[in-house]
Amino acid sequence: MLSELDSLKTAALAALDAAQDESALEAVRVNFLGKKGSVTALSQGMKDVPVEQKKEVGAKLNEVRTAITEGIDTKKLALQAAQDAKAVEGIDITLPGRPGAGVGALHPLTQIRDLAIRTLRRMGFALAEGPEIETEWHCFDALNTPADHPARNEKDTFYLPDGRLLRTHTSSVQIRTMEAAKALPIRIIAPGAAYRRDEIDATHLSVFNQLEGLYVNQDVSLGDLKGTLEYFFREIFGAGTAVRFRPHFFPFTEPSFEIDVKLEAKGKDARWIEIAGCGMVDPAVFTEVNKARGDTLFDPETTTGFAFGLGLDRLAMIMHGITDIRHLIENDVRFLQQFAA
Amino acid sequence: MQVSLSWLSTHLDLSSYTIPQLSDLLTFAGVEVEGIEERGVATDKVVVAQIQSFEQHPNADKLSVCQVDDGSGTPRQIVCGAKNFKAGDKVPLALPGAVLPGGFAIKEGKLRGVDSLGMLCSGKELGIGEDTGGLLIMAADSPVGTPFNQLNPADVLFDLEITPNRSDLLSHLGLARELAALTGLPLKGERHHANSSTKAKAAAEEQIVIKAAEACPLYTARIIKGVKVGPSPEWLRRRLESIGLRPINSIVDITNYVMMEMGQSLHCFDLNKLNGGIVVRMAAEGEKFLALDGQTYELKTDDLVIADSHRPVAIAGVMGGEETGVTESTVNVLLESAYFAPSGIRRTSRRLGLSSDSSYRFERGIDPQQVQGGSELATKLILSIAGGTAEDVVQVAGAAPALVGEVTLDENRARKLLGTPDMTGDEIHAILEKLGLTKKSASRHESHWTIPSYRLDLQRPVDLIEEIARVIGLDRVPSRQVAVASPVDAADRTYDFAMGLRQSLAARGFFEAQTLRLIADAQLADSLGGGQGVAVKNPLSEDHTTLRPSIVPGLVATAALNIRQGLHRLRFFELGRVFLTLPKGGSREEERLAVLLSGPVSPTSWHGREPQPADIHELVGQIQNLTRTPIEVRPAKENSANFLLTSELRAGNRILGWIAQMHPARAREINARHPVYVAELLLSALRQGSTGPTKFEELPRFPGMTRDVAMEVPADLPHAKVAAFFATQKHPLFVGAEVFDVFADPTGTKMAKDRKSIAWTLTYRSAEKTLETAEVDAAHSAILTALEKTLPATVRR
Repeated sequence: MLSELDSLKTAALAALDAAQDESALEAVRVNFLGKKGSVTALSQGMKDVPVEQKKEVGAKLNEVRTAITEGIDTKKLALQAAQDAKAVEGIDITLPGRPGAGVGALHPLTQIRDLAIRTLRRMGFALAEGPEIETEWHCFDALNTPADHPARNEKDTFYLPDGRLLRTHTSSVQIRTMEAAKALPIRIIAPGAAYRRDEIDATHLSVFNQLEGLYVNQDVSLGDLKGTLEYFFREIFGAGTAVRFRPHFFPFTEPSFEIDVKLEAKGKDARWIEIAGCGMVDPAVFTEVNKARGDTLFDPETTTGFAFGLGLDRLAMIMHGITDIRHLIENDVRFLQQFAA
Repeated sequence: MQVSLSWLSTHLDLSSYTIPQLSDLLTFAGVEVEGIEERGVATDKVVVAQIQSFEQHPNADKLSVCQVDDGSGTPRQIVCGAKNFKAGDKVPLALPGAVLPGGFAIKEGKLRGVDSLGMLCSGKELGIGEDTGGLLIMAADSPVGTPFNQLNPADVLFDLEITPNRSDLLSHLGLARELAALTGLPLKGERHHANSSTKAKAAAEEQIVIKAAEACPLYTARIIKGVKVGPSPEWLRRRLESIGLRPINSIVDITNYVMMEMGQSLHCFDLNKLNGGIVVRMAAEGEKFLALDGQTYELKTDDLVIADSHRPVAIAGVMGGEETGVTESTVNVLLESAYFAPSGIRRTSRRLGLSSDSSYRFERGIDPQQVQGGSELATKLILSIAGGTAEDVVQVAGAAPALVGEVTLDENRARKLLGTPDMTGDEIHAILEKLGLTKKSASRHESHWTIPSYRLDLQRPVDLIEEIARVIGLDRVPSRQVAVASPVDAADRTYDFAMGLRQSLAARGFFEAQTLRLIADAQLADSLGGGQGVAVKNPLSEDHTTLRPSIVPGLVATAALNIRQGLHRLRFFELGRVFLTLPKGGSREEERLAVLLSGPVSPTSWHGREPQPADIHELVGQIQNLTRTPIEVRPAKENSANFLLTSELRAGNRILGWIAQMHPARAREINARHPVYVAELLLSALRQGSTGPTKFEELPRFPGMTRDVAMEVPADLPHAKVAAFFATQKHPLFVGAEVFDVFADPTGTKMAKDRKSIAWTLTYRSAEKTLETAEVDAAHSAILTALEKTLPATVRR
């Protein structure tokens, strides 16, 4: 019986070796260890084995059974591993990835506006808004721009038949905000569209985008204006950027400045590029707002403030080196996908 | 405004400043330098030379070898490429050592083996004029050897942007005054024209009557008889030409010169063509006037005119009349010098669309104290250039308008506003004095100032503070930053919400478009959501007439543009404002999100076939995922011409927006290859569904069980009806149901054409225990019974 067991073991291991798939493996198991298998048949003969041999034969039987079981398990793992390896055979991992839903993009104007807004929010500015169809009072009179001012005509400004107009700048939001304010300080930014009656060409749009800023409090100084805007433009253009303030004139600020930043253009010397207008709120603006409010929250004797405005389209063009402003309104995907970041 | 450096230099000596220094000086005084043009040559090493002889260059067809007389007595040999000269011509010669405009240095050398000791020059090479394709041939009487710049003085032209508040800078004297203040250089005093030594005489009524004193507070007239009008002398012509004015005749040129010299705009009438005295009055309604530009203008009662007893002879301060202008045959002139109120001139100029150098100055305000000085300077020039005799008095009507004159400055306030606490009173005083203000008195923190008559812009304390800021510049002001906490406002929340939508759509493969809010009438038919846009009264072109009532028209144009570029998988969105005319007048502005979708559900790739083109359910799904609320699609009763399948999108009783398929006829117009779907959503309605923090809901503790049901229903029974049935089921174990199959056979083979088969999965769960099969079966059966009672459905059991 012992020798029978040995030869069974040899036969089983040889059969395992020859097995090439799960089903062959299962056949081996059934042939040797199954209910009618040869090992099972021998184990049923145990009862006829003399007592003094029982221990030895039993041990042998166990050894054979274990060897076959382990052999099956080992072979099973080997077969699985071979199959797993086969599963990735022939895959060319260098092929391009599947596109999924594809890649979209935010419009470059949105991106630059968001950059500006995030920067200014870190400096404590909240967002504000106002209508684009404005009254003459909010767009001009309250901003110290008299009725016969050159900008107030149908050649330069879009009007509606009812006498209202399309705001020529976001500065009207300054007035809207001060009218509605409950207390000082006011520290707001207002991104938005503005309109000018310009023919559309490489550098002009009749509808363009601005960002307005206003800070009003007791004792706001020109130093605050300077510090705030220097910080802002260095955040936008880089820490070392040179910023300069040139005296200028706007009806609603005094003193007024235009801001230039010194920027490198590809292959050219760095040069000063006009980027924004700013100034200290003209006391006449406070007086006009007070009249409309019927109180003196903006007492021109004690209240001061600064305001600034910049063109976002221009900023986007400068940042990205865009040569024709019309790209910004045409929405050609070949243009837009360059800004998929 | 064009300003000539050589003209400015007659008022102060600027030779110690380089051009870039002057440019910076002006820029930081608030006068923007928009252009600098250098004309002529500064060097003495360009001289007049006479060509004695020339011959063909031995080694070059296109060159000549010239012998020229440079005035030294020794002939000089020059190789020259030009052909436009002959022996005896006088031409400019650049001697070795000369540096021409643009930095070109002249050296002795050989050209193709022949010595050339200098260069003969064209006008362009000398910075005086355009390329004429040859040498500048000079007048035959030009003296040989004379430096060229003695005959054609070098000049620098500045193109300046004068801000509207600084009318005092609209003349060479005015700018010189400003530069003197900024540099500390002395003005050449004898050229202060403000004062007149001629006796003023109140004009008799028959000579001058002012009938509109508000519009014209001051009018003066000087009569000069026996003049001989002709071309102006060279110096005067050159002055005017240098700043871009065309010389006309000596009298007109003199008035223009005085305007550009001191900012006083004048007008000369041909006295013999005037009928009676001068009447300054408002025009009669509809009165016609033939102006110097040859145009006839129809005037209104708020236009100020200068008239004689018969008719208007000038639109005051804007333009003179054709009939009374000075010509070569004029013998006697009436020289007008007046002060016209800015607002009236502005109004008239604007209404007539007629602007002149004169109106430009009057509408910004001139110095009322120099009216007589201007008259005096012009008279002197007329007498010396055109001869004649002037009346020994100037006739004056009215008086110079009163000015603000004095301003009190609280110096502490100045320091506070400027952010320069360390600025001393002496420093402040020095700045203001330098600018021509006179200190009347000063106490500890306050000073009283007299304002010069030309500084019309200085009326309030803040105007003086601006002057200080301008002079010290922002380099002197220390930067300061304060942090102020701002509460989050509605505008902030809206912005963040909108940015979230934008980013979400971009991440789903959509491109953000930004289209113009002004659209063409023809585009209005592409609008979604009903509502009327807002028409502009004075559009610039028919492409931009109306503020959009919907964003979709812009996206359709965007789709069309990209289709033209060969793109057929279109995924666009835009978030922005629309404008709606309200039925009772006025308008409303609201923020919307529009989406356009067409073409394959995913971009084509190497893997497998072309993906399926998107259908309208794709767009519904995109919106569903974006809004994260269950959306009810409610078909509209009507479609506008450009759309099919127009439906309202709702969440509960809120209208979220609209969805539609572009009508195939419209899609063909833009050459779309695949069906085009659009939607427009109201931002405020979307936001309403997402206010406040999410409230956590306990996870179910016991497993749910599902049962599927298949049923046959009429083909036209909308899904929404079935969904509504399930949504209203109140059985305590029923959790919800979802559709998982819809089958119809339009051929009628597998199922009748008017029927469809739909299949749903229903979920049952209890919060207390794991359900028994029998409990679920009972609940399911109850719901199916109700289903068959409520809907025209046959359940397949």
